[in-house]
Order: sequence, then structure tokens, then C-alpha cells
Amino acid sequence: MRITNTSFTDNFLNQVQQLQQQQQTQQGESSTGLSVTLPEDNPAVMAQVLSQQTDSTANTAYQNNITHLQSTATTSATVMNSLQTLVSQVSQIATEASNGTNSSAQLSDYATQVQSLIQQAVQLANTQDENGNYIFSGTASDTKPFTTTTTNGKITAVSCALVDGTELAQSEIAPSTKISAQVLASGADGLITNTTTGADLFNHMLALQSDLESGNTSAINSTDTPALKTDEDNIIDQISGNGVTQSALSAASSLASALSTNLTTQISGETSADMATTLTELSQTQTAYEAALESGEKIMSVSLLNYLS
Amino acid sequence: MGGESLSVQQEATALAGQNLANANNTAYADEQLVVQEATPLETSTGEEGTGVDAVSITSMRNALLDAQVAAEGSVTGSLTAQQSALQDAEAYLDEQLSDSSSSSDASSSTGLTADFSSLFGSLQTLSTDPSNISDRQAVIQSAQQLTEQFNQVSSGLSTVTSSLNTSIQNGVTAVNQDLSQIASLNQQIMVAQGSGGTADQLEDEREQTIENLAGYVNLTTSAQANGTVNVDVGGANMVTGDTVTNTLRTESSDGQLSVGLVNDGELTLTSGSIAGSMAARDGAVTTLQSSLDTLAGQLITQVNNVYQNGTDLNGNSGQAFFTGSDAANIGVNDALANDPSAFQASSTGQPGDNGVVLAMAQLADTALPDLNNQTMSQYYSQAVGSFGSSLQSVNEQLTNSTSVAQMLTTQRASASGVNTDTEMTNLLQFQKAYEASAELISTVNEMLSTLVNMKTE
Repeated sequence: MRITNTSFTDNFLNQVQQLQQQQQTQQGESSTGLSVTLPEDNPAVMAQVLSQQTDSTANTAYQNNITHLQSTATTSATVMNSLQTLVSQVSQIATEASNGTNSSAQLSDYATQVQSLIQQAVQLANTQDENGNYIFSGTASDTKPFTTTTTNGKITAVSCALVDGTELAQSEIAPSTKISAQVLASGADGLITNTTTGADLFNHMLALQSDLESGNTSAINSTDTPALKTDEDNIIDQISGNGVTQSALSAASSLASALSTNLTTQISGETSADMATTLTELSQTQTAYEAALESGEKIMSVSLLNYLS
Repeated sequence: MGGESLSVQQEATALAGQNLANANNTAYADEQLVVQEATPLETSTGEEGTGVDAVSITSMRNALLDAQVAAEGSVTGSLTAQQSALQDAEAYLDEQLSDSSSSSDASSSTGLTADFSSLFGSLQTLSTDPSNISDRQAVIQSAQQLTEQFNQVSSGLSTVTSSLNTSIQNGVTAVNQDLSQIASLNQQIMVAQGSGGTADQLEDEREQTIENLAGYVNLTTSAQANGTVNVDVGGANMVTGDTVTNTLRTESSDGQLSVGLVNDGELTLTSGSIAGSMAARDGAVTTLQSSLDTLAGQLITQVNNVYQNGTDLNGNSGQAFFTGSDAANIGVNDALANDPSAFQASSTGQPGDNGVVLAMAQLADTALPDLNNQTMSQYYSQAVGSFGSSLQSVNEQLTNSTSVAQMLTTQRASASGVNTDTEMTNLLQFQKAYEASAELISTVNEMLSTLVNMKTE
């Protein structure tokens, strides 16, 4: 093939340009650690990674939801445990008061203790979270669930402010999987008043207080004590249900964590550059580039003119 | 005879000088002096030579290779225009993976993917505490970021389209100038050759103009006996001899430029930068723009359908969350910007109810019929992948086309380029021949002097 001035220089520049492009690509891969950075690099992988990235961030949102629900469940459990302890105390008072050996003064003392416990119970039932939401009000989160009527400094009635239609708010912990960590104060599955089991803690405590004040020990024995037992059993059921919820949240958290690791591994596998290969290829390209420049310099600096005198 | 030989060697030396001077001129074709033995004299002892005659100067131009270089230049021009436009669009799309050192994970921190994730993530967070003002603010900010990104990408793609229309307009102007130039050169070549001369320099210039023209449009040329070249562009005759028979013009329809002929005829542009610009504009860029508009439209419709049934913290309802209809004008209801409490999260009116916000969050996983039964993020990922495939295909084609063009250029340079070593060798050859011819004249002169001196003695 006949070699001319322009063909040699054109070819030389073209080859050097190709080697420079290769070096740029390989340098980019070695500095970022990624073999794919733009849609044009590998469209199929890019589409896949964007989709996986969406799944990954959605999974992170589910993990945040789980953490929030776990916090709610833990707070509820703490309050319910306190309530259960409180009801046990009330039941114990009822048992002691109904054994027929107490004077009216002692019964009055018991009534005072029950009054104090009613106040504490109402306070516990009206617990708010760090954002000011009433934890047992469900969707009516700004409504204080129980209000008291006081006569001469003494609570004489406790009424529930939750209206019909108040429900437990559910949150997603996985796609199409919803769960609630809330407990409702009142309703078919209520904590304080439960239309299914017949629990009605505040009214039962108020009845006990009234019977203690009037010395009606037979009513305490026959009515108040069983009713309080029902209330305590109802709270224990709710604590048990809360435990089940926390277990479910813990399992969901483990699952989300595993999914997060899996997605990260997948994305990394699809986009990470093989550093050993990349660096070896970069070294080879650099060697070829240096060789091209050196040989080009040697050839281009020589012509027949060097030998004509 | 000696004088004629000196003249021929001088002419050959001048030509070598011309070749050396144009050694780096890519449009120049190597020229050679064609010589032949001068007509001999019949003598009694037989034919007696009378020296050498210069017959012509021949250009080493190869018409076939010239046509192939022009054709490949047209293909390269088309692909280069497409690559440039699509890379601009890719930059505006702003989907770039970067290495997240904290998680050793590739992620796109910018672009619509991240913004979609941010919005739906913030909706999930709000669903756990729907009356929380800061969570509401986060949702509104995420939505504003998403809509601004939609607006920016859409605006960027419109800029690309506008630039392509400008390129088409400039291309048409350049084509018409080149056609005039070719017709003018045809006329000059015809005159030069008609008077028995050569027009190698003009032919070089015409070839360069044709190759420049091929960068804009697909063309065919046909050489005529009178030295002119007829040029057809996109199947339509544009130059015949020294006459421009037709020119290109642009037509505007719905803000888009199309290219037609000033006079009657059918124009089919298949390569060249004008065809490349139109292919990029009407192909991948329009498809991407359309996909974004569809996606934005669905986002607006689906979210508003859910949101309008909600109630805000003040008991109001019925407002829209998103405004606009497509990627260019999607926005967040201004009423929400300064009043997060106006976000209609509740389906019952109770502040702790998350019915609406949860339904909005769940739209992330909802396959929509108008998005080919894909979720919004799936549809977008596919649109990005499809766009990337278009650009990747253009990149690969351009790499191949550039290699072919380089190969053809090398072949043509091999056939018609100048080799300085050859020219220097020729120069020495002509110099020696010139010296020898001069020596001949000197010898004859001495012989004649000897003869004259003999008679006078």
C-alpha cells in the first residue's frame, strides 16, 4: 500500500485518539468503581438499576415506618403494663375490702386510694406521644379520649370522647401489607371500654369507689371484683396483642433489612467495575499509548530529506 | 532536442514542487506529468529520435473512492448530529449513577428517579403520623422538587429540539450555498477544459465542496463529458452543469421545521446532518418528551383523584394537589406552599386518619393502564432505558462509520495523496535529467565550436 503524508498522520492521530478514549473510559471506571454511569453505557442495566433503586428507597421508607410503629407499640406496651399494674392494685383493694374485717374508716381509706388510682388511670389512658398525639385515640389523634367530671375535687364520672367511626390508623410495612401498632381506648376491641368483653374500667373503678364509700362489701365481692377481673383480662389481652404486633414488626424489619442487603448486592453486581480487570486494561492501554507516541515520533521525524545533502 | 528536454524537466520539477507544496492538503490529488518520445525523423539509417514531449498533466484523483468518501461522510454527518443531540438530551435527563461510598452502592442522587422515590418515601412517612406538620412540609417539598425536575427536563428537551431546528435551518442554508458553488465551479471547469486546458485545481475545490455538501445531505454525483458534475440530493436533481436546478427550503409546521424543495420534486433525505437532526428530533427526543408528558399527566390525574377526596387539618377538602397537565407545566398547588395544614391527608376528617395519604403512597406500587400496566417508576425506568438504547445504538453506528470513513480516507490518500519521499526522489531524477540535457547542449556546442575552428584555421 502506498503511504502518503496525510494517510500516515491521519492514521496516527486516529489511533492515538482511540487510545485516549479508551484511557478516559478506563480511568472513569477505576475512579468511580462503576462500569455504568449513564443510560448510554448500558441501557438495560441502567433501567434495571433505576428500578432497583426505586425498590431500595421504598424499602427504606418501609423500614422507617416499621421503626415508627415499633416506637408506637413500645410506648403503648409501657402504658398498658402500667395500667395492668394499676388494675391489679385496684383488684387487690377490692379483695381486701370485701373480706368483712374492715371498718368503715378503712373502707374510706380504700376509697381514697381508688380515687387516686382512677386519676392515674385516666392520666395513663390520655397519654400523648412526642408529637402530641393521644396514643389510644386512633385516627382521632387530637382528641383526648377520656374526660372527667369532678365534684368537690373528686372524680365522679369519666366519659369517653371518641366518636363512632374512630379507627386504628394502619401503615404499610411492605408493599400491600398494612399493620397498626395502635390500641383504641374504646370500642369493640377497646382497651378501657370493650363492647365485646364487657370491660369498662373507669366505671367499674368508680362503682368500687362508691361501694367502698357506702360500705357495700357484698357488691364489691359479687359485682366489682369480677368486673375488675374482666377489665384486667382485657388489658392483658391487649398487651398480648401488642406483643404479637411487635413480633410481626420485628420479622418485617428483618425481612426489609435482608431485602435492602439483597438489592444493594444486586445493584453493586450490575454496576461495579471489575477493578482488577479495569486496572490491568488501563495499564495495557497506557503502554500502547506510550508505544504509539514513541513510534510515531521516530517515524515522523525521519524522511528522505534527512539523507539528502 | 536538448532545449525541449530542458523544458520538460523544468516542467516536471515544477510539478514535483507543486505536489510537495500540497503534501498536507487533503483535498489535493497528486499530479504527474505525462511525457512521451517526440516524433522521430526518418533518415537513411532509420528512425532518429528527436527527444521528449510533455503530453499532459494527470491528476491521480479516483472518482470511485471520492464518491465512497462523500457517501460515508454523509452517514457520519447524520450520526454525529444524532449523537450530539441525544447526548445533550441525556445531560438534561440528569440520570447519572454515582458511587455512594457510604453504602458501596451505585445510586442516582439526581433525576426523576430520586425525586419520585423522595416523594413516595415522604408520603409513607407522613402516613405514620398524618397530622405532623414537618412531615407534611416534607411531602410538599418533595413534590415541588419532583415537579421542578419535570419542568427542567422538559425545558431542556425543548432546548434540544430548538437547537436541532436551528441546525436544520443552518444546514439548508449551507447546502444551497454549496450547490451554487458547485455550479459555479462546473462553469469554470467547463470553460477551462473547453479551451483545451486542465482544471485540476478547480476539480479539487469542487470535490472538497461536494464532500462538505455530503456532510449535510445524502447525494449522488455523475461526471459529464464536458468536465462538469451533476448533483442529485435526496433523489432530486439540484445541479446540472453550470445551473442550480433546485434548492432546499424549510417549512414550519407546529413549531417544527421540515425540509422540502423550492421547485417541484420529491426529496428523500436519508443521511447527512440535516437528516440526522430530524431523526434525533422526531425520534428519541420526541419519544422521551412524550413519555415524560404521559408520566406527568398520569401523576397529576392519579394523585389528584385520590387527594381531592381528602380533608385537611382545617376541615377543608376538594382541592387539587398537582396543577398542570404535562411535564412542562406540572406544579404543586400554591395554597400548600405556605400552609402544610392544608394538605388533605385524611379520608374521614379526623387528623390521625391516613386514608388519603396512604392511598397516595400506594400509587407508587400501582400498575396503571395508561402506562402500559406499569407503575410510574417502572414506566420511567423503561423510558430511560429505551432512550439509552437509542443513544447507544447511535454511538456504535458512529464508531463503525468513523472507522469506515477513516479506512476510505486512507485508501484515497494512498491512491491520490502526495508522498514526499517519492516527490523528493522524482526531484532528484528530474534534476539529473536536466543536468544531462544541459550537458548534451554543452557537448553539441563544443562539437560545433570545434567544427567552426577547423574552417577558420
